[in-house]
Amino acid sequence: MIPLSMTATGELVQLVNILGGEEIKRRLAALGLTPGIKLCVVQNAGGPLLISVRDSRIALGRGVAHKIMVCHQ
Amino acid sequence: MKNQALLNKKPFEINYGQETETEINKLVKIINQTPTLKSLYPPRWLAIKLLESDEDIAQRLSAIPGSTELYTEAQASVESLKKILGDDVDILMADQRYRWINSLVKEVVMKPDQSILTNSDKIDKIVTNRFLGIPIFLIFMWIVFKLTADVSAPYLDWVEGVINGPIARWTTSFLGWIGLGDTWVVSLFMDGIIAGVGGVLVFVPVLMFLYIALAVLEDSGYMARAAFVMDRLMHALGLHGKSFLPMLVGFGCTVPAIYATRTLENKNDRILTGLLVPFMSCGARLPVYVLFASIFFPKNSGKVIFSMYLLGIVVAILLGVIFKRTLFKGKEQSAFVMELPPYRIPTLKGVWRHTWERTGAFVKKAWTIIMATSVILWFLMSIPTGGQGSFANTEIGNSVFASVSKAIAPAFKPLGFNSWEASGALVTGFVAKEVVISTMSQAYAAGEPDEEVEETPTFLEDLGEIVKSFAESTLDTIKSLPLIVGVNLLGEEEEAEPTALMDAIKESFEESSNGNGWLAALSYMVFVLIYTPCMVAIAAEWHELGAKWTWVSIFGQLFLAWLLSFIVFQGGILLGLG
Repeated sequence: MIPLSMTATGELVQLVNILGGEEIKRRLAALGLTPGIKLCVVQNAGGPLLISVRDSRIALGRGVAHKIMVCHQ
Repeated sequence: MKNQALLNKKPFEINYGQETETEINKLVKIINQTPTLKSLYPPRWLAIKLLESDEDIAQRLSAIPGSTELYTEAQASVESLKKILGDDVDILMADQRYRWINSLVKEVVMKPDQSILTNSDKIDKIVTNRFLGIPIFLIFMWIVFKLTADVSAPYLDWVEGVINGPIARWTTSFLGWIGLGDTWVVSLFMDGIIAGVGGVLVFVPVLMFLYIALAVLEDSGYMARAAFVMDRLMHALGLHGKSFLPMLVGFGCTVPAIYATRTLENKNDRILTGLLVPFMSCGARLPVYVLFASIFFPKNSGKVIFSMYLLGIVVAILLGVIFKRTLFKGKEQSAFVMELPPYRIPTLKGVWRHTWERTGAFVKKAWTIIMATSVILWFLMSIPTGGQGSFANTEIGNSVFASVSKAIAPAFKPLGFNSWEASGALVTGFVAKEVVISTMSQAYAAGEPDEEVEETPTFLEDLGEIVKSFAESTLDTIKSLPLIVGVNLLGEEEEAEPTALMDAIKESFEESSNGNGWLAALSYMVFVLIYTPCMVAIAAEWHELGAKWTWVSIFGQLFLAWLLSFIVFQGGILLGLG
């Protein structure tokens, strides 16, 4: 299990859990980032990340990406 | 018949699973027994919001009598569901919702193979590229600036012409017709209201072009990418990626920029951005720089003007870093999470709606506040002191306004400009930077030479002229579009000869600064850059940031303006530059 921020561009990973307060968990869930979901890292080249999840593109600040734990399948 | 069938249809519901549904029904039952709640919210919706621990709803409920029982019951449900299901119920509900969407999408949407990149992805590959992203962003911004500054100019001239020509004439004839000609009322309307309000309305075309450009960028989906690209840079300053947009809009006008802080979710981010936005030099400050630079730095005016913009940015960056470490220390910065919508071609209707909403709001604000201040200012300039002249028929140098300005002037002595005319212009500049120059030309009594008396056109001729000049402006606007890429089809503008006003300013600044005129001018420009942008901006701050931060902003800017001007003027003299 690694933080999303450590993944490389193009990797396909599965969300395990989010280490953070209720508020951020709820916001991410509303955008479709729930435990178990598969997501694709579209861009991770320093700065914010771009991911593809449930057919939408979501920009995540590096700070948030540190808190999202994912695993390779 | 069909409509009736639709009305009777059961509202659409997502099934959240047996355990959750049991709890929802339990809460719905309680809500149905509480008439105050039932009349306010749809019961099922309220029950779901409670299970999601929605803070906004919790707050609203606390104000409604008889909701305590429901609230405690909801808390118990959240706890028990967490035990049964092993995860937070709000997360599971979001998951259920997405599952349902997914199953629906599978049934109704045909999709090409997953591995193929969509067009949106292809554009994103270039636009959000770590090396290309910022240059592309800067090109778009350049186009936006050119649109607002150059392309809108013909319309600006048109509005100015209509207000100072036909509208002024109609007002005079109307006042004459109702028997108020040759009274002070004429002066109130002409020198007070039309000069003041008209001076602000002239900027409407500039704002409209700015808003059109922003609406196109927003509706196309690019604006979200811009925030993505700028997040890294802004983060270094302790700001949020989305802070960039308000800062950028600030170069056009501070008022919409302050309203644009709404796009930030976190209150601290909003306040910090709102405090920094006024240092972005807005369009209204530019004429002051242009005038002073052409008087005191005729050879380097471009560089001097540019350095003003740069100084504003540097001040904002430094203040941002300082605030982040002091006032906002330890305050959590909201996470940067944003959905990037797929690219779309903006619709005319959508762009028009955005533009109109924002322009309308500006006109309304400008109308009320500028109208009031213009009238007050006119009275102050019309009431004589010391028994010279009579009401509305006095030399401006003997008016209450001059006395007030003279009283304030000594505060500007260390900054190199303590003539009452210069300080008076700063006082009216508090209302709007547009009036700094007009106040100076009134105060130095070196106004534009009276135009030759023409034959007064008839009402119909006026109307015809308005339509004709509008068509001409449109043609000029189309011709000015190539200006964006640096091609000028309009021909060079005539170089302005030094006017009486320019001579008067030069003389006055040389005198008040003991021969260090250009240092005093620089110090004056810095003061204009840093102090409170305008009344409308204050109103916007009040609206968006609240009273406390508005006062912090006003006094902070005044203090900083004085301090920086002091450093420029006295520092310049110390270094022997004068």
